[in-house]
Amino acid sequence: MIHNTKYKLTIGWLYPELMSTYGDRGNIIVLQKRCEWRGIGVEVLKLDLHFNLNQLAQCDLLFMGGAQDKQQKIVSEDLMKKRNALQNRIEDGIPGLYICGAYQLLGRYYKEAERTIIPGLNIFDLYTGNPGLNVSRLIGNVAIEFQGVNSYSPSRCNHSYTLVGFENHGGRTYLGKNVKPLGKILKGFGNNGEDGTEGAIYKNSFGTYFHGPILPKNPEFADLLIKVALEKKYGSPIDLSPLDNSIEMQARKTIANRLNVEL
Amino acid sequence: MSKFFNLGNGSTWPGHIALSINKNFIRDVLRNSKVKIILIAGTNGKTTTAKLIRTILEYDKKSLPAHWRVFQNAAGANLLNGIASSLVLHSTVVCKLNYDYAIFEIDENTLPLILHEINNPDFIIILNLFRDQLDRYGEVNTIAKKWEDAIRHLLSKTTLILNADDPQVAFLGEKSKSNVLYFGINPANKTEKNQHASDSNYCPNCGERLIYNSIYFSHLGDWICKNCGFEHPKKTFTQSPFYPLSGTYNEYNTNAAVLLAKLNNVSNRAIEQSLRVFKPAFGRQEILKINDKKVQIFLSKNPASFNESLKTIANLNANNLLLVLNDRIPDGRDVSWIWDVDFEDFSSQFKNITVTGDRAFDLGLRLKYAEFKNFQTKKNLAEATNVALEKTLKNETLYILPTYSAMLEVRKILTGKSIL
Repeated sequence: MIHNTKYKLTIGWLYPELMSTYGDRGNIIVLQKRCEWRGIGVEVLKLDLHFNLNQLAQCDLLFMGGAQDKQQKIVSEDLMKKRNALQNRIEDGIPGLYICGAYQLLGRYYKEAERTIIPGLNIFDLYTGNPGLNVSRLIGNVAIEFQGVNSYSPSRCNHSYTLVGFENHGGRTYLGKNVKPLGKILKGFGNNGEDGTEGAIYKNSFGTYFHGPILPKNPEFADLLIKVALEKKYGSPIDLSPLDNSIEMQARKTIANRLNVEL
Repeated sequence: MSKFFNLGNGSTWPGHIALSINKNFIRDVLRNSKVKIILIAGTNGKTTTAKLIRTILEYDKKSLPAHWRVFQNAAGANLLNGIASSLVLHSTVVCKLNYDYAIFEIDENTLPLILHEINNPDFIIILNLFRDQLDRYGEVNTIAKKWEDAIRHLLSKTTLILNADDPQVAFLGEKSKSNVLYFGINPANKTEKNQHASDSNYCPNCGERLIYNSIYFSHLGDWICKNCGFEHPKKTFTQSPFYPLSGTYNEYNTNAAVLLAKLNNVSNRAIEQSLRVFKPAFGRQEILKINDKKVQIFLSKNPASFNESLKTIANLNANNLLLVLNDRIPDGRDVSWIWDVDFEDFSSQFKNITVTGDRAFDLGLRLKYAEFKNFQTKKNLAEATNVALEKTLKNETLYILPTYSAMLEVRKILTGKSIL
């Protein structure tokens, strides 16, 4: 493997011990390998409970997965204390991927079925309500049309791209005016099963309900995160060298055929 | 009774009908019976443990006529209608059960329901609790809470047999009024690195992080909570006279079965002799002979069982591997769990790897990112099985790791010999 020592990325993995239930570490593996295979130096910083704010400052790309309710509560208490530091990084445009529970946590609040309101980090303009155990969870394979990040980042992803994955969530998320949806639902439920939106984009941060995990079967999206992180860090446009995505394509096709959507 | 209708063992609809005619059917049949009831719950190992117990108890009672001994529900028929079916199948026309023991393996979600029907079973074995089919069962903590609520009402007539090494399972014994006994494994030389898919590293009593003196696999080990003092039960049964199956997970299954046998006064001699003639349940390390080649099937259906299967076959110096990933209802529709399996530890372990199943390319992708070099992906199961067998040398073994529905399919292909 060619080691191109010119570029290096530090990926911050928020709460790997507590927020990692649905195979979400696959996203970290994919980011790491797709950097390594291109000779981009990569380090994964595990930001577990009581992590140091200096560590957050070192990161070029952030990731946080979903979790069980009990674990999520522990994380939310810890993250509340670090809220301002995280907000500054997000406002400053650090790219990040936030899945399911993490996505909900970044919003304004989470309303439980019993009407208890749990405040969120209030970084993304969105809120989530849980209709309770008697209302079905939104579960199944899902496909969306990802509309790119044209005006939200220094990079360009001008063509639309189908993202495929699996969703499994009880909460229904509603977007406010200051965020854009990650994409338009082609098949599946998305944010709330009503308005045809899935996920959210704010600056260079992406929130989504996609498990699967999201990045292995959507390599262009993985590369977009890497590209934005490198451009942000080095301040100039960067073209990533192409990788062989043939198994990725076949895995995408399996889902696309099942859902009867175009890739 | 059901013989009239000529029903097979695996069918659940006799039970479905019985329950729709009389919703108290299970309760009513068991009310006037002296049969001792053994319930087995847990994410992994239910079928194997049930078969181990049945083998030991039948061996012990072998001088008695067959129908005075032991019956069990069909493997996998572990919801209420499956339990009811097995009662229909084994009771007389007047709904009498002439057996000494009934062994029921119980689905994770069904345990609370069955305890509602069978108020105080004689024995409940709880093997473990791992993440499994999150789309169907929900999260580990949700199941743990359901079990806790169901078990709280049990009286001293019931003996609870719990895995001491699984903190969330051991915790079930804390507030119980039943007679509680623990099993585990012999901890000598078992310290291993932390596996990724570890679900219960936090104290089930106070929520603090647990300290592990050693980890056997996943979150099983010798643990203690330094905050509230909740600790691994001191008196734990860990020593079977013989282990018929490979793998740490089968040490647990065997020790649970042997502890139960001892409580039923089966002699050490009978335990050992019966275990020596034990034949594995279908798909659970079951060995098939295909011409001059050996095939061994290791059902691998969630991160904990997949990790254990890989570790076990690596210890057996496996060369040839067929991995089959399906995403049908019995497998779970969500295949994201394959990213929680520690494939990275085995990337240069096996010589000949074939990947197949409904989601073959997802699994191929997983292997690619774990830097496996020598594998091929084939969508068609029969073709993949053929290729994998062809590459297996004479007198070698092909190890097949399938999910549940894949196991049934691949078994049919092999035993039906339709591809050979």
